[in-house]
Amino acid sequence: MNLVVNGDAESGTGGTADPVTTVRGWKVAQGAPALIAYSLGGGYPTPTDPGPARRGSRFFAGGNSPRTTLVQDVSLPRSGPTGRRAVDAGKVRYTVTAWLGGYATQEDGARLSVEFRDAKGTPVALSVLGPVGAADRAGRTGLLERTAEAAVPPTARSARVLLVFTRSGGGTSNDGYADAVSLTLKPAGGR
Amino acid sequence: MTVNRRDLLKSAAAAGALSLAWPLASGLTPAQAREAAENLGAEYDRAPFTLGVASGDPQPHSVLLWTRLAPEPLAAEQKLPEVVEVDWVVAKDPGLRRVVARGTAPASATLGHSVHVPVGGLAPGRHYWYAFKALGRTSRVGRTKTAPRGRVSKVTFAAANCQAFHDGFYAAHRGIAREKVDFVVHLGDYIYEHGQVGGVPEKHVRDHDGPEILTLADYRKRHALYKGDKSLREAHAAHPWFLTWDDHEVVNDYSGTGGGAPFMRRRAAAYQAWFEHMPHRDSFGGSALPDPEIHRVRRWGDLLELSVLDLRSYRSAQNLPDGTILGAEQKAWLKKTVDRAPDTWHVWANSIMLSQLRGRPGGSYMFTDQWDGFLAERKEVLGHVHKSGLEDLVVITGDWHSAFVDDIRTDFDEPESPLVGTEFTAHSVTSGAYDANWNATNGPLMGKANPHLKYFEGNRYGYDVYEVTPERFSAHMRVIGDRRDPRSPVSTLTTFHVDRGKAGSYEDEGTKNSPAQYRRD
Repeated sequence: MNLVVNGDAESGTGGTADPVTTVRGWKVAQGAPALIAYSLGGGYPTPTDPGPARRGSRFFAGGNSPRTTLVQDVSLPRSGPTGRRAVDAGKVRYTVTAWLGGYATQEDGARLSVEFRDAKGTPVALSVLGPVGAADRAGRTGLLERTAEAAVPPTARSARVLLVFTRSGGGTSNDGYADAVSLTLKPAGGR
Repeated sequence: MTVNRRDLLKSAAAAGALSLAWPLASGLTPAQAREAAENLGAEYDRAPFTLGVASGDPQPHSVLLWTRLAPEPLAAEQKLPEVVEVDWVVAKDPGLRRVVARGTAPASATLGHSVHVPVGGLAPGRHYWYAFKALGRTSRVGRTKTAPRGRVSKVTFAAANCQAFHDGFYAAHRGIAREKVDFVVHLGDYIYEHGQVGGVPEKHVRDHDGPEILTLADYRKRHALYKGDKSLREAHAAHPWFLTWDDHEVVNDYSGTGGGAPFMRRRAAAYQAWFEHMPHRDSFGGSALPDPEIHRVRRWGDLLELSVLDLRSYRSAQNLPDGTILGAEQKAWLKKTVDRAPDTWHVWANSIMLSQLRGRPGGSYMFTDQWDGFLAERKEVLGHVHKSGLEDLVVITGDWHSAFVDDIRTDFDEPESPLVGTEFTAHSVTSGAYDANWNATNGPLMGKANPHLKYFEGNRYGYDVYEVTPERFSAHMRVIGDRRDPRSPVSTLTTFHVDRGKAGSYEDEGTKNSPAQYRRD
């Protein structure tokens, strides 16, 4: 099960390149993102550009701010095969995935990170994906898949997911793009 | 260790072995690289705690403890289980018998097997000792101190900055480790990102381990290399530290915003590695790794309020009419901190020079990477300090590799504008300054060009020790004799004082005749 709410940008207001002030499931910590429809055109990623196979109708973009940040705090399950007891026994692994991209040869980018925290909020694990540069995209508009997998350390109780869009140089539009953000847990063999 | 390192380097060079051993030649395995480094003077703690222990961000009831498991400090990946459980203990005595707290923390490969443990429930204003245990081994014992509460009659602290590994041994940190201070502030340029400089042993005592660093693995190795100087580990183990950073923790003169995707990836790698190697308390704010939140305000009883600034993460490009060195959020926070300030000494930990600095009369600003590149914001912030009636402001600064004392005025181009504080810019630990000729020529020129500049000395290396009482703030400039000597003795070059309730500094009568390249009489 994907623990990230609205990691696919499908919920809430949006659909155009205009920035929005709220995004379902996320806290807008900085700037204002746009939730753009793949059908919008105008140079934005389209249904046929590189991106998730099942991409839905919309993706995240950085809006018009030089830096736009979305934050989502995820509580880890209390019980079950990936619950606290299993985490503290070292028997849970996580996988974080995101499709990240940008526009043509520009270096605007999107970065997705997940920081696992103990009950006091101290970081105990970290995975950082992206940002994907123009060279990674071979100068083509689109999104590429990035993923990381690791053990959930004992004492982890929550995860903070941070999605950061950065604009490079001048211009107005922050063309860092992201879609299909997911964080999943699975039972592992243990120590 | 009794070996004379310079002689060792010379004999290694004569034998033609230096290119294989130090600088650390490419192609060596991590174990060989470490052995080569150790043969030529580097000393690491016993594995897996090779990089030592540290504490930071002391508060009345809490302090942050740090270590990192790195059995092969110069390896990109450690041969360790993915997660290692690390036991920690805090006691009232160096023998760790009177235990007051203990626990276990996970060291994850995703964070370089570092651990950061915020220990609570401690008593204010007292020393504690601590150690870690993992994989059947115990770390060295570190000492820390909590912040006091209530009435405080004295606080003493040190400030260090700019410690280029190749430019010298860390005799200054050896000195700091032996100082009777309550805490240490590091003002940045803890590591340098560039590649090898060569010229060992005649020009440099040692060198970087490879080319310019770009990736997380690179930054991890560079931090581990710097911690191979035992004096740095000693200073960390002796006192709690407050931390900020300057540019070289990432790359020279960078702005934290506006870069393209490849730079932002590099910045994230550098920031993560910095966190992994520092006793930094994070995650109390709205952000998260790999963007640690550095700026914070801390109190030392009723005597001192320390505001730690981050002048890199949120800055814009230089020389823009609406440019920012603080970023909008941190600026609002700083102004609010000024508004709410209690009646106490106010110290800003400021990585890069606040005061205006022209190179010669009528000349341009020397470096607009400093606050001189953010004129409107400086005016706004200092104007706010004046308007709010804040008194007893002392700004401590690094970056310049030379010592300066400045009056802080709300408008540096108007010598009669309100005087709102004093800035002490400290000597560097090792990073090279201008040469003696340049200093002798340009010291007086800078003095003439900057009416607020009271003192300049650029021929020495060291750190500052600040001694603060309710009546007086004294800055002791500690200097070492020779950067090439890891045990170089420390002396006090001069002392400046600021009296409580009276803006402006004055030099101690006893050291007024000490060498300097500029002194306003």
